[in-house]
Amino acid sequence: MNKRAHLHKENLQTLFYPKSVAIVGTNKVKGTVPGDIFTNIMKAELNGVVFPVNPREKFIGGVKTYKYVIDVPDDVDLAIIVFPSSVCNRALEQCGQKGIKAVIIISAGFKEIGGKGLEREKELLEIADKYGMSFIGPNCLGVINTDPLSRLNASFAREFPAEGNIAFLSQSGALCTAVLDYALAKKIGFSKFISFGNKADISEIDLMYYLMEDEKTKVILVYLEEISDGPGLMKAARDVMRKSGKPVLILKSGRTSEGASAAASHTGSLAGSDEICDAAFKQAGIIRCDNIEEMFNIAIAFAYQPVPKTNKVAIITNAGGPGVLTTDAAIKQGLQLAKFSEETTHVLKRSLPSTANIKNPVDVIGDARADRYIAAMDAAFKDDDVDGVFVILTPQSMTDIETIAEEIAKAAQASEKPVYTSFMGEADVAAGIRILEQYQIPHYSLPEAMCKPFYTAFSFNKMLQEKVVETVDFTDVNKAKAQSILTDAEKEGRSYLPEYMAAKVIETYKLPVVGNGFATSANQASEIAEGIGFPVVMKVMSDDIIHKFDVGGVVLNVNSKKEAEQVFNEIHSDVNKNMPEAKIDGIHIAQQIPQGTEVILGVKRDPAFGPVIMFGLGGIFVEVFKDVSFRIAPVSKKVAVDMITQIKSSALLQGARGRAVMDIDSIAEAIMRLSQLAVDCPQIKELDINPMIVLEKGKGCFVADTKIII
Amino acid sequence: MEQEKVKQKVKKVVSEVLKIDQSEIEDDANFIFDLGADSMQSMLLIAAFEDEFDIEMEVEKAQEVQSISGAIEFISTYL
Repeated sequence: MNKRAHLHKENLQTLFYPKSVAIVGTNKVKGTVPGDIFTNIMKAELNGVVFPVNPREKFIGGVKTYKYVIDVPDDVDLAIIVFPSSVCNRALEQCGQKGIKAVIIISAGFKEIGGKGLEREKELLEIADKYGMSFIGPNCLGVINTDPLSRLNASFAREFPAEGNIAFLSQSGALCTAVLDYALAKKIGFSKFISFGNKADISEIDLMYYLMEDEKTKVILVYLEEISDGPGLMKAARDVMRKSGKPVLILKSGRTSEGASAAASHTGSLAGSDEICDAAFKQAGIIRCDNIEEMFNIAIAFAYQPVPKTNKVAIITNAGGPGVLTTDAAIKQGLQLAKFSEETTHVLKRSLPSTANIKNPVDVIGDARADRYIAAMDAAFKDDDVDGVFVILTPQSMTDIETIAEEIAKAAQASEKPVYTSFMGEADVAAGIRILEQYQIPHYSLPEAMCKPFYTAFSFNKMLQEKVVETVDFTDVNKAKAQSILTDAEKEGRSYLPEYMAAKVIETYKLPVVGNGFATSANQASEIAEGIGFPVVMKVMSDDIIHKFDVGGVVLNVNSKKEAEQVFNEIHSDVNKNMPEAKIDGIHIAQQIPQGTEVILGVKRDPAFGPVIMFGLGGIFVEVFKDVSFRIAPVSKKVAVDMITQIKSSALLQGARGRAVMDIDSIAEAIMRLSQLAVDCPQIKELDINPMIVLEKGKGCFVADTKIII
Repeated sequence: MEQEKVKQKVKKVVSEVLKIDQSEIEDDANFIFDLGADSMQSMLLIAAFEDEFDIEMEVEKAQEVQSISGAIEFISTYL
């Protein structure tokens, strides 16, 4: 943790729980940001004292107003700056002089406008650093803390939300107001609600660490538009998850993949920013959401209910069709229907009418009243194979919706197993849904929508139970040599390394490069070939030739010294004939590898996350199906094995349809070594190992061709 | 025009637009931070300076002027 992150940790507690707040630049004009901030903070009944600061007013809202913040006679814990951007620096400087440590800068007109705005933002940081202050913003909606110990509404949002255990952080202020309105309708409460704007000083990472220790917060939701510190975000999410057991859900906008098309390697073209983001989030245990609705669907499952221990659910419904639809969705999502014990079946048979379906999904029949639902729920709660209950209701003429909702809610609250509900329809079921929301029982408009939150909560819990496998660095690598080759290539003005040079780089990290050498004479070629061992492959090396096969530049199955001499001369003569303008540097000679399965390994350097490692099967699997996996380096053995087994075609490596089982351990080791190389050598922009030939289990793998772009 | 005369005229305009006693206006006062001008008043100040000095100022540059001393310097370039 750097110096400012330490400072933020101390100052954020003051920011959320201030005993005195100065609103710097506020005014009397309702309907303006400076005016509404004052109104909001007063309306929320802050647990502390408020000092309006305005150069001209003597009183605002009946509260004594000061010309400058330094004129306030008492100590001030938090300053909220709402002045125009051109004078925020002066306001912040005075806050520093006053000894204020926590500041929220609402004003816009900084980085987001470029030019002068960038300079202004830089100046704010310099002032904050000088006085040991921390600030949220600029260009934000503000901060809300619903904790009765604080009741801080330092924002210009229309409503003060209900108290709850969900924290919401957002880079977009406008989205915050929409989310608040959405949550208000769904009766979702918040612990903290933070719009962090340009995140010039305090970032989402600092806030996540604060919320990790915040007793009022159970779930952390984040809306992000840009990731400026990918590794920092991943570490923070991991720390939050491991140390507090709190899930981090992120909605990241910008799922387009501009930039990928301009890449010069396979890896570069396959690894778009969104694929990398997906991989990074998965690796860090972050739950990525596609939209606000999905985010809150999952959030309420975590916030209101215990996490399921297994993926086995019981479905209780008063209508067959929705029960079947939910069953289909559950199975598709990766859930299982619990198998009821004999005792459960017996209880259900005794409690429900003879026409009811007592197998899972349980149909309590359309005329069911609360007693049947409760009997079925009780039986499911007592069954050891059930780890969660989905309750579905459709409104029939005899359905007592509100009583059923009330009884279900009470039963769910008394249970240690999670209960999710779906009262289908709109108008008739509205009162019942309100009751469920008041009791904080997760409700979903469509029954199928219960499946993803349940599966997400189950997977998260499973991940928490898994042992953490740390990355281990190999000690037999030669970092200095790899860097020296790359530096020399840079000095020569190269943008990419030819195969023989690229092979030398990856050899320094003990990647299994086949025996190879570089010959500039026929005699040298025969000596190198003999040293490697026959058969060998001979390839022309020339910066001018892209498709070596087409110009007669590649010869396979060279079996003797004499043949190597002949082939050396033949390649020269064929290339000279087919492409006379090409300058030949020499001939690359490599051991010819026995037949195996072709895989591709790669590296791409992402601006937000750093080096990214790619794995896939070669040929059509990568070219056509784009069946590849990504992870952010460094990569542990567990992660490397996940990368291999995650791709759809991995069955081909694992002995599908009578094939031999391939040496997955050797691929995992190659991935780990490549990951270490990528971390150690930032000069490498992109790297393709294509193909790497994998042999049967226990026989290893061989790198056949490597391309490095620097 | 003499600097002192420009200063007095600038202060007079500011006093009228922002409705502040001239004696309260310091030479280096910032229109927003010290005198509490809002965005509308900042625009009115530009128009009032133009009328008072009978000049036509470049609006974009005029908007960057934030203080009494800045206004004196900027207006002087037109005189």
